[in-house]
Amino acid sequence: MITISYWDLLTLSSLVFLLGGALWLNGFSKVGGLYWATLRMVVQLLFMGVWLSWVFHSDNPIWVILIGFVMLVAGGYEISKRQQYRFKKMHSFLIGLLSLSFISLILLIGVLVFIIQPDPWHQPQYLIPLLGMLLGNSMTAIGLGLDTLTRNAVQLKHKIEAQLALGKTAKESMQFIKEQSLHSAMIPIINMLVAAGIISLPGMMTGQILAGADPVEAVKYQIMVMLLIATSTGAGTLLAVQLASRRLFDERQRLQLSQLEKV
Amino acid sequence: MSQVESSALFNIKNVMAQGMCAPVNVSISAGQTWMVVGSSGTGKSQFLKSLADLIVHQGEVFLNGVNQQAMLPEQWRRQVMYFPAETAWWQDSIVAHFDTLPDQAMLQSIGLPWSILQKNPDECSSGEKQRLALLRGLSYQPSILLLDEITANLDVEASIRVEELLQNYLKTPVLSAQIGGGQGDLSLLKRGGSGVENLSPPQKAIIWVSHDVAQRKRMAPVVQHLVFKTEVS
Repeated sequence: MITISYWDLLTLSSLVFLLGGALWLNGFSKVGGLYWATLRMVVQLLFMGVWLSWVFHSDNPIWVILIGFVMLVAGGYEISKRQQYRFKKMHSFLIGLLSLSFISLILLIGVLVFIIQPDPWHQPQYLIPLLGMLLGNSMTAIGLGLDTLTRNAVQLKHKIEAQLALGKTAKESMQFIKEQSLHSAMIPIINMLVAAGIISLPGMMTGQILAGADPVEAVKYQIMVMLLIATSTGAGTLLAVQLASRRLFDERQRLQLSQLEKV
Repeated sequence: MSQVESSALFNIKNVMAQGMCAPVNVSISAGQTWMVVGSSGTGKSQFLKSLADLIVHQGEVFLNGVNQQAMLPEQWRRQVMYFPAETAWWQDSIVAHFDTLPDQAMLQSIGLPWSILQKNPDECSSGEKQRLALLRGLSYQPSILLLDEITANLDVEASIRVEELLQNYLKTPVLSAQIGGGQGDLSLLKRGGSGVENLSPPQKAIIWVSHDVAQRKRMAPVVQHLVFKTEVS
């Protein structure tokens, strides 16, 4: 495999720097945000690289657990950060974390134990990259789904309350909003599945091919990952939307928007 | 005292919610219409919403001696139904909001054409929507109607028609046919079997918030008044 030097990366990063300048000249106000996000990406990935090589060599499962835990918590935090209306007392974070971890972990462990079967099954070389791919996509979908749900609950409050007043249950009254939330969360995934292989070459497969793997084997891995991503995003969003819409009502099925605070 | 209470259809004891100035105690008998009177900001809407258990409140409410909190919220609200001034529609057509279609005679009696059911709610005027929302609620045959300025967007003629419809509704027993009859009958009878039947039939009452002075005058011979004051007495 042909390696890249740090100097190469530094040269490439000037591209983003120049892009920022061009955007700024055209009235884009968040150039700082772009630079900050890029810097974060570089630092986080470098850390992950160092950390992973340490974990791969140390051969102690405690490190794998620790890395997984950090990834999940960061995922939950990102979800709650993307909400325009956040549940009070960290509940957005908890709902995000729970729906993210529950589904992703079940899928991950299932696929490691029954399909890939590395020895031992928690070998970090397989576990951590797979978890990362599942979390990245689920996080986006769950964040979108929750945001759509709470924003609509606030904006369409009178439509929910009108249904409650007619004697419909909280679940029935939320149905039209739930549909929209699932829709907005699933559309990006469906688009991704449609584009794969024709318009886009997914990152994981590209990486394996660059590293010299047989393209057909790389494709098989990629298909597996895509199936897992579709399942974990869909199921994670379902769970999150369920938990959140239940949280919006009290025990007498009254809409309690005071549970939310605008960020 | 307790005998009076047990004969009442709807008993309101010390009901108080945020925005209200003083707790309310009232005993309402079957067939009565109560007009809630008082200036804006005295919590009249909050009061009605408390009765339907749509907002957090203190005090107790009984329908036929059954405590509000002892009933499932969705069952309670189907019998003690709140009608807001601002109607809401969540489907693409009016008709999709009805579990049981209103009959043609009933629509006509309040000045609406049958074809309006096929319209999109956005195409209807707010006055039309107010009347449609009333029919939508009445199709569940609630016992207690909590009306929150439901004729605010209607002209005098339409208001009078709504008042007549409501007075007729009060007199109609729950399980028997409404005006017109026909297929409406069957569906109502079926509905009756599912849970309304344990209420004795013609037990209905209205609690009505209205700022329309002319309306209050028209209704005066048949109503009781419940006065909301700004100051705590």
